[in-house]
Amino acid sequence: MALLEVRDLSVTYSPRDSAAVRAVDRVSFEVHDGEFVGLLGESGCGKSTLGNAVLRLLDRPAAITGGTIRFDGQDVTTTPEDDLRSLRWVDLSTVFQSSMNSLNPVITVRRQFADTFEAHSDALGNDLDVDARATELLEMVSLDRSVLSRFPHELSGGMKQRVALALALALEPRFVLLDEPTTGLDVVVQRDILDRLRVLQARLGFAVLFISHDLGTVMELADRVMVMYAGEIVEDQPAAEMVTRHLHPYSAGLLGSYADPRDQVVEVEFIPGRPPDLSQPHAGCLFQPRCPVAVDACRTVHPELLPASLGQVRCLLVEQSGDARVVLEKAAELRRRDQVFAAGLSERADAEPVLVVDGVSKVYKTRRGLNTTLTQAVDDVSFALRPGQVTALVGQSGSGKTTIARILTGVERPTAGSVRFKDEPVDHLGRGALRKYRRHVQLVFQDPFSALNPTRTVAYALSRPLRNHLGLTGAEARARAAELLETVGLSPADQYLDKLPHQLSGGQRQRVVIARALAPEPEVVVADEPISMLDVSIRAEIIALLDQLVRDRGIAMLYITHDLLSARLLADEVMVLNQGVMVERGPTLDVIAEAKDPYTRKLLAAIPRPGARDIA
Amino acid sequence: MTTTPETIDTEALRVTALDADASSRLPGWFVILWRNGKCRVGMLMLAAFIVIAVLAPVIAPYGPRLDEFGASEGPSAAHWLGTTARGEDVFSQLIYGARTSLIVGLVAGVLSTLIAMAVGLTAGYLRGVVDEVLSFFINLGLVVPVLPLMIVLAGYAPVKGLGLIIIVITVTGWAYGARIKRAQIITLRTRDYITAAKFAGDSTARIIAFEIVPNMISLIVVGFMGAALGAIGAEAGLAFLGLGDPQTVSWGTMLNQASLGGALTTGQWAWLVAPGLALALLITSFTLMNFGIDALSNPHLRED
Ligand SMILES: Nc1ncnc2c1ncn2[C@@H]1O[C@H](COP(=O)(O)OP(=O)(O)O)[C@@H](O)[C@H]1O
Ligand code: SF4
Ligand SMILES: [Mg+2]
Repeated sequence: MALLEVRDLSVTYSPRDSAAVRAVDRVSFEVHDGEFVGLLGESGCGKSTLGNAVLRLLDRPAAITGGTIRFDGQDVTTTPEDDLRSLRWVDLSTVFQSSMNSLNPVITVRRQFADTFEAHSDALGNDLDVDARATELLEMVSLDRSVLSRFPHELSGGMKQRVALALALALEPRFVLLDEPTTGLDVVVQRDILDRLRVLQARLGFAVLFISHDLGTVMELADRVMVMYAGEIVEDQPAAEMVTRHLHPYSAGLLGSYADPRDQVVEVEFIPGRPPDLSQPHAGCLFQPRCPVAVDACRTVHPELLPASLGQVRCLLVEQSGDARVVLEKAAELRRRDQVFAAGLSERADAEPVLVVDGVSKVYKTRRGLNTTLTQAVDDVSFALRPGQVTALVGQSGSGKTTIARILTGVERPTAGSVRFKDEPVDHLGRGALRKYRRHVQLVFQDPFSALNPTRTVAYALSRPLRNHLGLTGAEARARAAELLETVGLSPADQYLDKLPHQLSGGQRQRVVIARALAPEPEVVVADEPISMLDVSIRAEIIALLDQLVRDRGIAMLYITHDLLSARLLADEVMVLNQGVMVERGPTLDVIAEAKDPYTRKLLAAIPRPGARDIA
Repeated sequence: MTTTPETIDTEALRVTALDADASSRLPGWFVILWRNGKCRVGMLMLAAFIVIAVLAPVIAPYGPRLDEFGASEGPSAAHWLGTTARGEDVFSQLIYGARTSLIVGLVAGVLSTLIAMAVGLTAGYLRGVVDEVLSFFINLGLVVPVLPLMIVLAGYAPVKGLGLIIIVITVTGWAYGARIKRAQIITLRTRDYITAAKFAGDSTARIIAFEIVPNMISLIVVGFMGAALGAIGAEAGLAFLGLGDPQTVSWGTMLNQASLGGALTTGQWAWLVAPGLALALLITSFTLMNFGIDALSNPHLRED
């Protein structure tokens, strides 16, 4: 008997103002004791909903509308909330992406542990030495015991997420649900936490359901991987099998977004389109509109999840053909035509630089009571940006990347050194001059969810720079805004102009953000981690868009990132920053292939390599 | 469960409201409030008070200061709640009293919300020295004991009247709202979309008016409701203490005159109880509406 048995589980959101959404549709799976199962899929495929349903954490308007959940033989589908409480945390616990923000801000970490122990004293007994046990737990997640006396706001995001993990493990649960537990953290920190997690899991033997859109990581950690699309499981295979012999076209598409940035030629694929609207009924295969190998029958026949290879697959082609791999290879060929973004060896043309940064330093003074501390954020950095070229700036959080971006864009003034835009010094501009300068230098932000005002339409967002910098108004501005949307691939533009940001997906929002940056026809664009918050499967699309815009419009781009793969795909030149000092720079492939700086090496090591665990 | 105004996710709220907007012809915030049962009762009660206040001359059988009846009479068919010691109709005073309470609530609520917005937004957006100076005044406004200050101001002012009461209440009541709005704008001003607006060339005034304030609507409504409620209570309290204008007909002055006029000794319970009850009902309607406002800010409390 499996530890967790889910049979035909359906979950429906029935909001009052709109049509019901079948977020999870007749899903069945099992998780065995000590098993590490990955659950993959793009945002909105129903992964979180499924995870929450399994723990019975669903809130209105979501409700389980069919099927059963058994935990350790006991049916928990309709167990009353009060009885669940004793089960949760003791036997089942969870870490979400937002767990780090749900630590109680007014009590110390020690108190959080003490409260958890106290709430479950029946499971632990009363004479527990809180400090000793908490220290032990913190050590498990590589945190020092000094953390015990600190408040959550005194800890970094990564540390808070480790505390959340330690708390989740405090009562030695048998099953842990991890829903994107490291999304949003620094890549190196992510790597640390996940490696630690895998070691702990092997030692303590709890079962894990690991939800993520980052397939590389999942493949590397999990024993078995389930791929979810539009509320259904479409493939379920052992991890090693999934890497090399996946069968479903969707799995193939997801896997295509990985590559080793050290290769001479790097190619990534993407799956165009978005998951279907689940409030509408669909005949046939839900993946059909995006599937490169769909046949006629796919439009009318809905495939079942059937045994194939070492697991299960939901695809008509796999059902029909003896050797589905042949089909998939053909699919890969087809995709390569238009859905691949490749970086080869780029030859650098030496155009005249538009922006020159010369010996720039920045010292921040922070005053805490009577003490003034000086922080050297940037130390004697020089470089130039050239039209039609991308310069990547790589470095750890806190290494000064954003400070450089702020100095370039005139938000911050350098303590020493100079910044020149077409031979005009721009490091000490007054208000009016700054506004004029910004016509030429624009920003693309990291978080597409906070870069657009949630209460303003797309048309409004685009009309402001058009009006202020180019003097366009009314119908003229609207027409130009529509053109811009077409440029960034939001077409037909009329469909998007009057939408509010929350009606768009993350990738679409980021396209709007890019369109807004392009509006005043800038010569320089600073993109601060523009893809790190996006689904892995659409990152390549945005990279391809940025690349095309840079080359077509002769924009000089500073591309700030943690992600060496995207740097490799996009940038002509890479600079590595460490504690404000530029430690490495050169043509992208040279820097990446022969990384010398320890941080660059760490970044390389943090890139997931699906299947690596089996090879090692 | 109540949400402290500091933690309201005002942006999400505004978006929900915009969504609800699209699905009906009524404003979105209204739809959400209306769906909450308690809030609906509160809104209906308040609406009733407003109707009574507007139609006072129609509803009230006599003028509120008409003193040609027998003094200190008990309830009768002609005078449902009896008459005052000076021979006025208590029921008519009660009806006209609703006007005073609502006007004070509205005007003092609007004034203190405006001051709170001006001070809070300026301090929170500009930060630096401006913030330090304004924060000093906000804190001053918060620590000064409000009741004694009100009494002193109202007691020593050379003129009496509703205007004075409104000014006193506004002067003493803006600070709390200002603090909350300052805190909110400090979190909103660091949003990327504010930086984006700067890069789009928008001026500071425009950024505040078009990017920030729309995301604070709910907070402003909450602040207004709180200020209005405080003002209604304060007016009644001051008038009851005899610090109001005795010529104004309000529930507070009614209570004051009832106790001075010996309502207790003559056994005129209705004269004493009616204004207190009316006040309690009005306050209850605000409290009930607050449930809806909590629901606005916390999606889990929404009646979907
Ligand atoms: N509160 C809600 N109301 C209506 N639909 C929702 C709600 N939350 C999520 N959904 C829908 O449910 C589906 C699955 O969402 P989710 O479980 O969050 O996916 P994932 O975790 O894979 O990103 C999506 O189509 C999403 O739009
Ligand atoms: S059933 Fe058809 S459309 Fe669906 S994944 Fe298979 S081939 Fe593609
Ligand atoms: Mg999710």
